[in-house]
Amino acid sequence: MLAFVKRFSLKRTKHPRGYEDPQVLASETPFTVNEIEALHNLFKKLSTSIINDGLIHKEEFLLALFRNSSMQNLFADRVFYMFDRKRNGVIEFGEFVRSLSIFHPHTPEHEKSSFMFKLYDLDGTGFIQRHELKKMVGALLSETDLGLSEECIEAIVEQTMVEVDTNKDGKIDEEEWKELVAKNPSILKNMTLPYLKEVTLAFPSFVLDSEVDD
Amino acid sequence: MPEIQILSDSGDNSNTNALFGKYELGKLLGCGAFAKVYHARDLRTGQSVAIKILNKKKLLLANPSLANNIKREISIMRRLSHPNIVKLHEVMATRTKIFFAMEFVKGGELFNRISKHGRLGEDLSRRYFQQLISAVGYCHARGVYHRDLKPENLLIDESGSTLKVSDFGLSALTDQIRPEDGLLHTLCGTPAYVAPEILSKKGYDGAKVDVWSCGVVLFVLAAGYLPFNDPNVMSMYKKIYKGEYRCPRWMSQDLKRFVSRLLDINPETRITVDEIVKDPWFVKGGFKPIKFHDLKGEGGEVEAVKSLNAFDLISFSSGLDLSGLFAGCGESERFLSEKSPDELAEEVEEFAKEEKLRVETMKKGEYGVEMEGQNGKFIIFLI
Repeated sequence: MLAFVKRFSLKRTKHPRGYEDPQVLASETPFTVNEIEALHNLFKKLSTSIINDGLIHKEEFLLALFRNSSMQNLFADRVFYMFDRKRNGVIEFGEFVRSLSIFHPHTPEHEKSSFMFKLYDLDGTGFIQRHELKKMVGALLSETDLGLSEECIEAIVEQTMVEVDTNKDGKIDEEEWKELVAKNPSILKNMTLPYLKEVTLAFPSFVLDSEVDD
Repeated sequence: MPEIQILSDSGDNSNTNALFGKYELGKLLGCGAFAKVYHARDLRTGQSVAIKILNKKKLLLANPSLANNIKREISIMRRLSHPNIVKLHEVMATRTKIFFAMEFVKGGELFNRISKHGRLGEDLSRRYFQQLISAVGYCHARGVYHRDLKPENLLIDESGSTLKVSDFGLSALTDQIRPEDGLLHTLCGTPAYVAPEILSKKGYDGAKVDVWSCGVVLFVLAAGYLPFNDPNVMSMYKKIYKGEYRCPRWMSQDLKRFVSRLLDINPETRITVDEIVKDPWFVKGGFKPIKFHDLKGEGGEVEAVKSLNAFDLISFSSGLDLSGLFAGCGESERFLSEKSPDELAEEVEEFAKEEKLRVETMKKGEYGVEMEGQNGKFIIFLI
């Protein structure tokens, strides 16, 4: 027991940059304090896999997703960018928890929808433009071995624009996006991680060194 | 509220009696050497749960290896999903305590029923025993052994028709009665279910040990008393060690024979789970073959996709699938293929046959194939 206390009081003095009190994070997210302690175990693992500084660097993020730290993937880049709320090139613990909370099964759909819209709005203009959509379809197809022709990609993009861009201004605004999501909720499937409901079971070592007071 | 300090971490919850602002604790259901079990209600869903509360200090004193094992064991328990195994929902902790939120089984311990109403008929004994073996076989197929099957761990639901085994995979938290730790005599529990090879302190095989304990359980169900019993613990050990027990007159010859195969003191010749499910006594009365696999997959996830628009397509990017961050706790791989669903399904089945995996194909038109192997579950969805 004493050993745990010691270990923790040591740790407490040198929490890395960006560390936040689980109590505070719990009050702002659907997670309990224990779930945040469990997520911290995951965060420690991810943030020390290449550079041992308690921050998740892009390479570490890619390594976790693809087992390959130099993987080129447009969508992973976008997710990283969205997680890095301060836009300083690394994901801190607080950013990690707050961003993951959007993927919690209990988080309202409109938050998930809005996150996804921003993620797809590659240029950050407030619209998903036709060329952005085309770039993303191209990126997805290059992940697979489906060698679809340029015309084929163009046809998919065109068909989607006809379906979604209801005011026909050549770009998808957030209202049109919401309508699409309402019609086709499976588009948000990536935005819910069932794992988040069982993080305490997936990363249970916090049970030994929890800092929650009795 | 007894002994537990009540915690609440969410300000919006006016119920200050709630554990972590989440579970409202009710009455004490049972208590052991290190644990107390309470009934509780999940405030969000209204669902009943059982909360097991462990005292870390006491637990670590009794079982110093806890720190090493607990993580692994919780992970194991998490992966067990079977109708006859009590489900672990969540673990929680404070500085001094560990809390397990588990499925609540309303009927209580099976053995309370026996001590109240006496032995069960052979048909009912068989029904419970089949469920016990179904759970045990499922776990063994995944390399998980209970090692501490005993009356307290066998629960029945309200209707009395379903048996559920608790504490599977959590042996570090429950095996206080292992002789090695010297605690055997101080416990309220009985060593009556312990296999002879454990008593002889030789290395033992978890599967064989569980089968022995199942044999003792079956004997108690059908006879109404313990096969090995003596007020003197040393005498009890001696009986176990020699395999000395007497079947009651009323027990059928077939059951006597079956019990003798389960309570074989030689672990090498003792019946195995695979043999149990083929035994004439076990299968009597038309028993559908036990599958040591999930009866149903997670299901419902096969979406009927009409026409893929660009966003559907994009959503298949592996870069958008963050489950990779949780690697090691269930991984799935998605792929796109140009082959027709039927062709793919065929390929999967062929591969599975070679690798001795179980495949469940969904109804035609849904294009889903589920596959399961020794070490867990592989699911493939074809769209």
